[in-house]
Amino acid sequence: MQVRQVVICIKPFNDKPMEKVKKMKYMNPYIAGVLLGLVLLAANFIAGRGLGLSGAVKSAVISAVQTVAPSHAENASFYKEYKAQHSESPLKNWLVFQMLGVIVGAFVSGVISRRITWKVEHSPKITSRKRLVFAVMGGILFGFGSQLGRGCTSGAALSGMAVMSLGGFITMMAIFGTGFAMAYFFRKLWI
Amino acid sequence: MGPLAPYEIISESSNFLFAFLIGIGFGFVLEQAGFSSSRKLAGVFYGYDMVVVKVFFTGAITAMLGLLFFSLFGWVDLDLVYVNETFLWSSIVGGVIMGLGFIMGGYCPGTSFCGASIGKIDALFFIGGLFIGVLIFTEGYPLWEGLYKAENMGAPKISTWFGLSDGFFALLVIFMAVAMFWIAEWAEKKFPREEY
Amino acid sequence: MKTRVIISIAAVSLGLLIAAVPQNTTRPYKVNPDQMLTEVKGGQQFISPEEVADMIVQKDPSIQLIDVRNANEFAQYSLPGAINIPLESILNEEYEEILNQDIKTNILYSNGNMHANEAWMLLRQLGYKNNYVLMGGLNYWFEAIMNPAGPGNAVASEEIAKYNFRKAAGSALGSDGSGLSADSTATTVTTSPVPVKTEKKKKKPVSGGCS
Repeated sequence: MQVRQVVICIKPFNDKPMEKVKKMKYMNPYIAGVLLGLVLLAANFIAGRGLGLSGAVKSAVISAVQTVAPSHAENASFYKEYKAQHSESPLKNWLVFQMLGVIVGAFVSGVISRRITWKVEHSPKITSRKRLVFAVMGGILFGFGSQLGRGCTSGAALSGMAVMSLGGFITMMAIFGTGFAMAYFFRKLWI
Repeated sequence: MGPLAPYEIISESSNFLFAFLIGIGFGFVLEQAGFSSSRKLAGVFYGYDMVVVKVFFTGAITAMLGLLFFSLFGWVDLDLVYVNETFLWSSIVGGVIMGLGFIMGGYCPGTSFCGASIGKIDALFFIGGLFIGVLIFTEGYPLWEGLYKAENMGAPKISTWFGLSDGFFALLVIFMAVAMFWIAEWAEKKFPREEY
Repeated sequence: MKTRVIISIAAVSLGLLIAAVPQNTTRPYKVNPDQMLTEVKGGQQFISPEEVADMIVQKDPSIQLIDVRNANEFAQYSLPGAINIPLESILNEEYEEILNQDIKTNILYSNGNMHANEAWMLLRQLGYKNNYVLMGGLNYWFEAIMNPAGPGNAVASEEIAKYNFRKAAGSALGSDGSGLSADSTATTVTTSPVPVKTEKKKKKPVSGGCS
């Protein structure tokens, strides 16, 4: 296992170089992979479905719209269709509970490994501000794409592969293929 | 016999409780593997950090083998396990858009929650973007409803699609995974980057 | 790294194993004995000839009559729209899609109750739902529908209504030239709509992915 040194910026919006160095060990990726596979197996065995997060975001959005603008939710086609297929509240959804667990689990892991800190990650070649702008844009694209593709990397790619879904595989190839194709144009963000 | 919830061996509330627990496991493992860091995640596209490949493939083959062996022992009824549907065009177009979002944002929804959970501000902004993106989709739904519903192929498995048995297909994926492991190690040696 | 090698060896070995072993096609019993007893005692699997006659006359598309007698008896007479799945062959794979689905209501019948009930018990233990037994079988069918006994004087209007219904149904069925035609043979099995395999999922479909 390799020990990695991490630089922590005390002031996140300031590009002052290293003020503090801390040792953090990430888990061996193969072992982490096996554990991840076991979690996914448990999900399939217990609930008959795989993992996923984009669905939870969708539930949150629908719920918010229903609360804030109920008449719009009655009339706009997406929400109407959703309501016709799901009689219960959008928040009473397996994925929403799973998402809450993810937040807790990641936090616990962060505490144990002493990785809790405010930080903006980016390559040294750009500013934090630029990184955040791209983060938002990336999020918007991913949010939209995940709805169209009926899943994200966890739901379509990972869980899809575990059950050998053709659709999951196609989405996965599209995601990573595009990422590789576009990597050159965004290299400054990362390296 | 599994899966437990569809056979109503456990109640819906228990199922939700398990969802929460499984989520904890999921979040924990992801964060431990380093998926809470956008630079580690984006590394797969440049070669300097192939953790995504290693974790992803190991996870997929573990779960795949697990399900197949469970089915063999009669512990799970695979007919009741959800298989993602295939809507050809929206899968592709959605995937391309997500790929672009990935390379720009450095996260995917699951990992962004992990990152946000430990304080990564860029992850928080990504999540904000997620909500906006989903809202754009739902509000403008009529515009892309056609694409969304086009070419519904049902929910075929890749193995069935190619006329292979599930077990044989799993073996092929395993061979592919092993190859990727060695390629990943090679890439990391070839494209090292300074630590961050 | 050593971990990588261990994982690879383990995965390839297990993969070879799972690829070599044929897929599990056993159909386990899915209903435990206590449950079975309760259902049998409750007699919920029975459906009355009046109900069935009504559905046939209305041309209800959601039912499927299944004759579990042998092919000869089926050729001699069968109910309209019935298909023939002889009891001895009921476990054949080709019939599984008809017997194990949740779109149509299957109504099993034989001359009396016995064989249809046997068929029902078998299918129920395999976990199949949506299968029912025509109460009294063809024998009672003829008595009740085809030649209904007239009600005596001064009986409840219910009885009279029932008699009238039976008479009407009988004539509707009788004059439709039901089943007496020789071509309602086993070939009708193939024209029955074969439900798509994915429909076998429980009534509450498992959701996943984004939903």
